[in-house]
Amino acid sequence: MKPAQQYHLDGVRKVFGRGQVALEGFDLKVARGERVALIGPSGAGKTTLFRMLNCTIRPTSGHLRIGGQEVADLYGRSLREMRRRIGTIYQQHNLVPRLRVLHNVLSGRLGSWSLLGSLASLARPSQLETAHRALTDVGIGEKLFSRTDELSGGQQQRVAIARVLVQDPDVILADEPVSSVDPSLAETIIKLLIAISDDTRKTLLVNLHSTDLALSYFPRVIGMKAGVKLFDTATSRVTPELLQELYSGHAPVNGAGEPYREPEHRRTAV
Amino acid sequence: MNHADANADQLAALKAGARDRSRASTWALLALLGALFVWSYQGSEIDLGMLFSADGGGAIAEYVERLFPPDLSAKVVADAVEGAWETLAISLIGTLLSVVIALSLAFFGSRNLVYAGLLYEMESRRHLVLLRRIPYLAAKAILNFLRTIPEMLWALVFVFLVGLGPFPGVLALGVHTGGVLGKLFAEVLEDVDLQPVESLQSTGAGKIQILFYAILPQVLPQFISYTLYRWEVNIRVAAVLGFVGAGGLGQRIHIALSLFLEQQLLTLLIALYVLVTGVDYLSAYLRRRVV
Ligand SMILES: Nc1ncnc2c1ncn2[C@@H]1O[C@H](COP(=O)(O)OP(=O)(O)O)[C@@H](O)[C@H]1O
Ligand SMILES: [Mg+2]
Repeated sequence: MKPAQQYHLDGVRKVFGRGQVALEGFDLKVARGERVALIGPSGAGKTTLFRMLNCTIRPTSGHLRIGGQEVADLYGRSLREMRRRIGTIYQQHNLVPRLRVLHNVLSGRLGSWSLLGSLASLARPSQLETAHRALTDVGIGEKLFSRTDELSGGQQQRVAIARVLVQDPDVILADEPVSSVDPSLAETIIKLLIAISDDTRKTLLVNLHSTDLALSYFPRVIGMKAGVKLFDTATSRVTPELLQELYSGHAPVNGAGEPYREPEHRRTAV
Repeated sequence: MNHADANADQLAALKAGARDRSRASTWALLALLGALFVWSYQGSEIDLGMLFSADGGGAIAEYVERLFPPDLSAKVVADAVEGAWETLAISLIGTLLSVVIALSLAFFGSRNLVYAGLLYEMESRRHLVLLRRIPYLAAKAILNFLRTIPEMLWALVFVFLVGLGPFPGVLALGVHTGGVLGKLFAEVLEDVDLQPVESLQSTGAGKIQILFYAILPQVLPQFISYTLYRWEVNIRVAAVLGFVGAGGLGQRIHIALSLFLEQQLLTLLIALYVLVTGVDYLSAYLRRRVV
């Protein structure tokens, strides 16, 4: 039986270059299939945390376990195998602009493909139907053969999601996936991510700049500030005071100056 | 004095300091450049008087007269065509060789790929991190060495090693241009957007897969464009290399000059003109296609 815990962080600390502390004493447990939103002002360390959660950077100290496996023990092939099981959508520049959409989507398979197979696919795409189905799922099936840099920002985020679909990981991490698309689209994309993670019982962690989206769609919210965890609680327990404290010294991204309202559709699965 | 005033004073002082420093260094630089020009003018023994004197002008006019008409006899034309073909071949194969050399060194010579993780991703073992410097420094040193020695010197070395003919020309071009392109390629690689690279890394892709899916698509247009540009340079260099025995039009021009065969010389110069212009047009056309 698999251990229930997807992520288990214990006193994780990350220091960049010359003493720039990005994360300090960070503890976190996330269960399999859980849906969690992270919020906090920019510079809080959210991106840094996600880069450790998807194993592209290592903690300076502390323990990071994924599915019970200590990441510090992973190198080379075992490290790549772990990464294959974690899909990430970044804020932007996920994709290679000069490549056709289909290759950007199929690059989600690289962790599973052989080297020769993946090179051959650049000349003659191997799993065209897979790519097309994923693009159809995110609503832009017709863009299969377009060049990626001809797509709008929102369409490119959909391509990034389609890539995660073909990667078929256990966990989806989305680092501010909607900060470069317009607000009406933002909600659609968040709903899409939730639908995908529900359908396939994937763990979903999303960094959000917008507290509204976090409070509306996620049962658990973590507030981060200056590299430490300020709160980690059920959404129903998030108070205006907590948010105030989280963003004090910063302007909250939306609802600035407005009194906090209880979101109507909290915990609604889409 | 209050806080804001102190800040403003400090800013003003800093600004003034920066201005003084930059003014002083600008003047010093200009003076140095001026001195360098005077010194070089004398060093290169320029004598404009000689070029424009009645004697000098007459000699030039006389020489130009002797070039005409070009010798268009079948034998000479065939020889010029063969020479042009040889020069073209030297430039093409030499440039191809240079691309092979550049590609095999450029990846190790770019800081971001070696240090920032792609070639040695996410290594935390200290001694291995230090080891990364070795291929990087070695690649840089080799590229520098290849580039600092001019083609002519390389050609002399290779003529000595492998004998006269087009082959030493190819080697000379390949080795020197390999150093030039290797440096340019490494600079292009240092400019790649690393976010797509990291995002592929996070899917579990391996280094070579990342190279083909995220890096080459970003850099290939510039690699091709630089290579075509160097080909334009190399077709001219290939012509000059003939003077030290490395075949092609250059060797024939050298002979025609030494033996005072002025009319054959003009035929060869026409062939060179057509060849170089043709290559320029072709290269410009191809470069427009890739960018
Ligand atoms: N590669 C890096 N080198 C140095 N400092 C970094 C690096 N990445 C992030 N930081 C620093 O770490 C802190 C957290 O950054 P980040 O994780 O990007 O925050 P967030 O995503 O919440 O805006 C910031 O102070 C940032 O300047
Ligand atoms: Mg961030």
